[in-house]
Amino acid sequence: MNWKVKMMQDLQPVLDLFEQFEFFLIAALVLALAYLALEHKDIVYAVFFFGFMASAVAGFFLLLDAPYIAGMQIAVYTGGISALIIFGVLLLPRAQDSSLETFATGRVRTMGLILSGVIMAISGGLALIFPWPETIPEGVPEQSQSLQGLAEWLWQDHGVYIQIIALIILTTLVGAVALLKMEKAEAMSSITGEFGVEAKPSPEPEAETEVVDTEETSEEAAN
Amino acid sequence: MVPLSWYLVVAFMLVGLGAYGMIVKKNLIRILIGAEIMGNGVNLALVAFAVYGGAFSFTAQGLIILVISVAAAHTALALVLMLMYNRRYGTVDLSIVQKEEVA
Repeated sequence: MNWKVKMMQDLQPVLDLFEQFEFFLIAALVLALAYLALEHKDIVYAVFFFGFMASAVAGFFLLLDAPYIAGMQIAVYTGGISALIIFGVLLLPRAQDSSLETFATGRVRTMGLILSGVIMAISGGLALIFPWPETIPEGVPEQSQSLQGLAEWLWQDHGVYIQIIALIILTTLVGAVALLKMEKAEAMSSITGEFGVEAKPSPEPEAETEVVDTEETSEEAAN
Repeated sequence: MVPLSWYLVVAFMLVGLGAYGMIVKKNLIRILIGAEIMGNGVNLALVAFAVYGGAFSFTAQGLIILVISVAAAHTALALVLMLMYNRRYGTVDLSIVQKEEVA
């Protein structure tokens, strides 16, 4: 057993170097894909690049020893949100209009570049300068990798809160569908009165009484 | 081991790229993609802090799962709002509203 431990100790610098290489590879991939997702001319390709970028971010989570979060990231972002945006693009054919990608003025682009550059410079500089190791408490870090433990924490210990949050998310989705239905109901006059849209009052009886009143007044004036 | 600050730099670069997309672009789908890229950067910072801060407990994992789930819900809501915008203005160009406000 000793030779195994000794071999691992000898190999540790190589493993560290390999981890750093993996980090730089994933970082370059993520940033390049994020740029392509924003700048590629074809919006369908841009959405695909966004999905690949989300998968690459899951690589960071694997590097951080968080495999369950990586799985969630791939399932929700790559599998769910990317597919949702693709459906959105298919429902909105005008989104594929390439004229939307050109800028009316160069001023807006310059301003956006400066603002995002300032955000990146300030936050990145602070991340590099700030003494993070001093802020982290010493001791054995608490690493919980048990999926069963996480499931028990979620559903046994905090099940009520999870269900409340699920209800809030469900309400959001039902509200989104209701918004679409409301607008559709307003556009269709044949079903006016349903979906909470008030029926329009018919103005005909009021118009008749007004006509009678004016006839009577004209007769009185002639007499 | 890779230092925490490296992860944070990548996370903040993602936030900056997302902010660039949200400021500069006028296509609503691009703006949504920019918002999602920002969300990814925030998630990365959250996980990195939890792991390096010695608190990658069930609480941290539950919080991150919650953030990812809410991101999916808000994307669906954003797409519905885009459909409504398209019905009203006949396009997904955000600059039309800005021009109307100026006029």
